[in-house]
Amino acid sequence: MVSAIVEQIAIRPLTELDISRVVAIDERLSGVYRPEVWERRIVYYLRRDPDSCQVAEVNGKVVGFMFADVRGGEFGLEETTGWIERFGVDPDYQGRSLGRKLFDAVVLHLKQSGATTVRTLVDQKDRDLATFLRAVGFQDAPLTALEMRLG
Amino acid sequence: MNVEQTTLPKKYHDAVLHWQRHNFPDYGLLPENWQKYFPSDPEFCLCAKMEIGMGETIEVGEHKGEKRRETPDQLGEEPAKHLLAIIRAQASTEFGSIQQHEGTLARAQDEEDKIWVLRVMAEELRHGYQMLHLLVSQDWSHVSGQKAEEMVEEILSMKTGSHVLDAFNVEYDSFVDNVVFAAVIDRVGKYQLSMQRVCSYRPFAASMPPMLREEAFHLAAGVVPLRRWVQRAAEGNALISMAAIQKAFNKWMPRGLEMFGHEKGGDSNVRFGFKNLRNAEAQNQYFEECGRMIADLNQRYIRARLPQLSPQEAEDLAERLIRESGRHDGISAADLLRIPDMRFFRRKGEPAFTMVGSRSETFDDVEEYTRHLAANLPDAYMHSRDMKQYVETLRQVVSGQIAVDQAIKKMPTLKRVGGACPCSRSVRWVIEEPTAAPAPGTTQPAA
Repeated sequence: MVSAIVEQIAIRPLTELDISRVVAIDERLSGVYRPEVWERRIVYYLRRDPDSCQVAEVNGKVVGFMFADVRGGEFGLEETTGWIERFGVDPDYQGRSLGRKLFDAVVLHLKQSGATTVRTLVDQKDRDLATFLRAVGFQDAPLTALEMRLG
Repeated sequence: MNVEQTTLPKKYHDAVLHWQRHNFPDYGLLPENWQKYFPSDPEFCLCAKMEIGMGETIEVGEHKGEKRRETPDQLGEEPAKHLLAIIRAQASTEFGSIQQHEGTLARAQDEEDKIWVLRVMAEELRHGYQMLHLLVSQDWSHVSGQKAEEMVEEILSMKTGSHVLDAFNVEYDSFVDNVVFAAVIDRVGKYQLSMQRVCSYRPFAASMPPMLREEAFHLAAGVVPLRRWVQRAAEGNALISMAAIQKAFNKWMPRGLEMFGHEKGGDSNVRFGFKNLRNAEAQNQYFEECGRMIADLNQRYIRARLPQLSPQEAEDLAERLIRESGRHDGISAADLLRIPDMRFFRRKGEPAFTMVGSRSETFDDVEEYTRHLAANLPDAYMHSRDMKQYVETLRQVVSGQIAVDQAIKKMPTLKRVGGACPCSRSVRWVIEEPTAAPAPGTTQPAA
């Protein structure tokens, strides 16, 4: 007899009880355990607007996250902008359109919050992420990210 | 987010600021520290915030599908009375928690923890202000029998000991209480606000989303310091221990569970369309969520002690140690946090005065149970008037002198009732200005 296991997928706003799972996903992706970094970051997002940050659950377990923030006036961009700043999906759960679902939920809220544009920065070496972002509708921006190492 | 911000008429706004001067003297530290701790966040605003664009239709109850009510008289007498009691209780909790936090705020070991709690307090002040807005912006006199001024006066006169709910009548013993209260009692607040988002009375429903967004930070202001303390405890820092955190959980969890009301109640709230869950449903979800919070803290502790373990292995180990009361690599079950039994130290609801221990043990003897409480609650709290009253009442219940129902009504028994501003016995919080008519509430749109 073959039993079908039905996956229950849910996308919902971030809460403070998601910190451990976000730390664990980041650890799987980066190989570094850094709870302090995520505690600080998640407090920032929760006090700004918890609905701009969404997590993906599969059968009640958080397996992905996308954190955004609505700001305006940065880099001479006066329009209200939704900045997508943190994104990760547990490698065991990739390939199930969770990133797309997270993106759709985040963008819906950003629109409701008055954002007219969504922006992000991508590491040039991260081709998978760039491919994903183009697939959901991102295009090359006229701005170029520049940096200079000090010391 | 589309929010409309409103200020109270001047006499009420001034009454809240007057209350703040006496009950929340540290309020002024917040603007001084805002840029350092909350850069880029919009400045704090003491105002009522109403969500624009809430659905027009009642979502639950006997009037489901009808248009949301705009004024108390549209609710009908019994529902209006019921909702008024909810708003008053909500207002009492907001002002009450500030009075509790203020007592031990300055004892925080970390400045950041202190400023986070300070922001929580300011936002609770805003939530209280929000409830006063609901009371004074509409005429409730047909069900309250009081003028708006009298209702405001009554709420602002409450002190720790005379608030509506027990959790707000218990003093803090240390800054551990500030943090555990935010993690445990504010979590009940989150549930109440979430349930009330469906409310059939539109102004109340529209008050909930802005409060809920702020409540998310309040919970983080409890859980994140706890996560850091657990790490320090694992590192052997003598200034914080798992035992101290456990005792604070044991102190607050029973009061949090009681905030949902009697386990068999809540039908009226659903029937009137005020909330979407009955008391026991919400209470069970809350208890399960507190269990997850404690499991997270245990995982953080174990990973600090045994960094070679994966997150899942750490979580599994914590579960196993607690289940088997076991020991592994120098960590024992006693080092970890446990959620106390739902019936532990209860004085309201179904398990009131049943003498159940934190780990579900049952007791027949009051003195033995009191010793169990002494071993599981903070020392300073055991020496409190609140505990003395509780134990005396428990003795009366067990000896048959009073029934449980009577005992429930006796708690809390502190009942410090204010009534006048402490500046002068003759001055009240709400001061009429005879020279000018009260300024109307101003309304300004906000993004």
